[in-house]
Amino acid sequence: MRKFSIVAATALVAAAGLVLSGCAAGGSGGSDKAEIRVWLNGTDTPKEAREYLVKTFEKQNPGSTLKIEEQSWTGLVDKLTTSLSGSDSPDVVEVGNTQSPAFTSVGAFMDLTDKKDELGGDDLLPGFVEAGSYDGKFYAAPYYSGARLVFYRKDMFAAAGLEAPKTLDEYVADGEKLASANAGVSGIYAPGKDWYNALPYIWENGGEIATEKGGKWTSQFSSAESVAGIEQLQQVYEKASLAPKDGDETNPQVPYCANQVAQLSAPSWVKWSILAAADSDTPGCPDQEANLGVFALPGKDGGAAHVFAGGSNIAISNKSAHKDLAYDALKIMLSDDYQTILGKNGLVPAKQSLASTLGTDEVAKATAEAAANAKLTPASPKWADVESSQLLQDFFSAVAQGGDVKSLATELDKKIDDILNK
Amino acid sequence: MSLVAKTKTPRRVGFAPFALLVPGTAVLAVVVGWPLIQLLIQSFQEYGRAQVFGAPAPFIGLGNYVEVLTDQKFWNVLGRSVLFCLVCVVVTIVLGTLVALLMQRLNKFFRTLVSIGLLLAWAMPPLSATFVWGWVFDTQYGIANYLITQVSGVDFMGHSWLISALGFFFVAGIVVVWGAVPFVAFTVYAGLTQVPDEVIEAAQLDGAGAVARFRLIVLPYLRSIFLVLIVLSVIWDLRVFAQIKALQTIGGSVADTSTIGVYIYETSLANGEYGTGGAIAVILVLILMAVSFVYIRQSLKEDEA
Repeated sequence: MRKFSIVAATALVAAAGLVLSGCAAGGSGGSDKAEIRVWLNGTDTPKEAREYLVKTFEKQNPGSTLKIEEQSWTGLVDKLTTSLSGSDSPDVVEVGNTQSPAFTSVGAFMDLTDKKDELGGDDLLPGFVEAGSYDGKFYAAPYYSGARLVFYRKDMFAAAGLEAPKTLDEYVADGEKLASANAGVSGIYAPGKDWYNALPYIWENGGEIATEKGGKWTSQFSSAESVAGIEQLQQVYEKASLAPKDGDETNPQVPYCANQVAQLSAPSWVKWSILAAADSDTPGCPDQEANLGVFALPGKDGGAAHVFAGGSNIAISNKSAHKDLAYDALKIMLSDDYQTILGKNGLVPAKQSLASTLGTDEVAKATAEAAANAKLTPASPKWADVESSQLLQDFFSAVAQGGDVKSLATELDKKIDDILNK
Repeated sequence: MSLVAKTKTPRRVGFAPFALLVPGTAVLAVVVGWPLIQLLIQSFQEYGRAQVFGAPAPFIGLGNYVEVLTDQKFWNVLGRSVLFCLVCVVVTIVLGTLVALLMQRLNKFFRTLVSIGLLLAWAMPPLSATFVWGWVFDTQYGIANYLITQVSGVDFMGHSWLISALGFFFVAGIVVVWGAVPFVAFTVYAGLTQVPDEVIEAAQLDGAGAVARFRLIVLPYLRSIFLVLIVLSVIWDLRVFAQIKALQTIGGSVADTSTIGVYIYETSLANGEYGTGGAIAVILVLILMAVSFVYIRQSLKEDEA
């Protein structure tokens, strides 16, 4: 009994000490001076935003530093699994919205439920809040969303007497026309492993990726509607595209700038890759600016098509040794100023109230149209495993090589069912 | 008296070597042994991504092993790995030996030149080498397609080397062999200097041709060197990982081209099934240990000789 009270007293003193030191540190929370490591993926986050983040963080937390470590999108789930569970975990990580459930469901991220209002509350993009929540708790905040748009060459359109297509069928027909009119040019650039840009064909023809009923998932690639969509895509691969059948969607600006692409469906920020200065790390072709047109991918019956709602969530690792500082960094990334920079660079901001920061140019208009009709992948914690097993890349690559859609799709459905219902 | 001395002497001699072994063994135990034990335990557990982040891992007996061994995909991958390994080893040893024989006949200047070339190839990390070779065989902009088209006149532009499994392993084989030949060449070259010139000369006087001299004299002298080289090459090529994994990001179908090392990675890290992946890894360790056994037995024999 006596022993117990000593322990209790010690705990009380310690707790009081913690509270007091918390107060002393003031509003920003952590009093430690430390280096915070932030993982950002690919070149999606513009340089201006990165510089703003480092500058603002180091001003708000004198003595602490923030280091951005750029990760590759390829193999990200594998890498996050190992690093978030280890002792050398990064503090703040960006994760693809479709990959997020794999980590929120296993407790890899710090619980942000009571901080949600401070971060933006109901103003945050609802689809991404959902992607970042698990079991009623909020773990990963929306970071940005990016709609996929179609970039095109105005000169090739004019030469072929074409205008921006009104329906998906018109878009495919234009692609074939442009390909046969220009030797060595892809009317629609469609590398076989780019499954993101393959999904609209399925959705627009009435198909789905997978549906859930009573907790059981059923993959839907072999449904009549999906097969019709995939066969339309196969037509694109065979008649409109010269892209490698086993290539992926990275660096599309290279063939675009080599004058080998008439239409390119890609995330909105690819505009800046195409127009990147000749002396940058990944040079583009800035002289093409006036020649670069853009529209939202049209749907089967007109209007904007259902495109894949790509984007990211941002979270704090549960293993972070400096959670307060990490939260400061996360708060900056969701601040209006930071999100405005993202908006100006063609990324849909995480807050709905900032949608106007996208501007009013062609890209902004198309982005808004596409984002309004964008769709997500199945909301299963196992979906990330489907992605990282690269089943979809292999499937669409086989379709691009002229394989039989129905039998390939049936095979794929079996494999996806196995993973989702494990 | 003499009996006591006899039993004491070996014990005194025996202590020093063991003491010298301690640091190395300790490092190996920590760096290799401990993870290996963990891997072994994991292979008997249900161990997924949730367990990585702290959920309890229940033991499921041989469940993971049953799952692996009854999966046709595992046998496909294993068969593919063994076949790829054998082809690579044969080509590596033959090419390495030819380069070594060439170096023996070159004058000093050219021998140095070849050595530098070999060293550079050897020093190149497998990952960098794979990407460079990937560019060489790139579908759209690769120099291989360009040169073949220019020289032969057959239109190879836009030809995808990696899209078929055979083409993929052709390129992967080039990367692996290219990286492995230097070690074999240097080792065989060193071995060749040990073959006594008198014996070769005598054989030459007896009218033995170059092929016969190599087969009847050089080969027996270098037998143990070749055995060790073959065993090491088999071990290296069977567990090949970086080259295949990196090449898969450049092109080709993942399902048709994964070798056992990549398969373990996919199962464990990409799909988050650490238990099943662990079981595959343990099976690979057993196979590699069987191969190493030949190597160790040979080393022991040499010690005795």
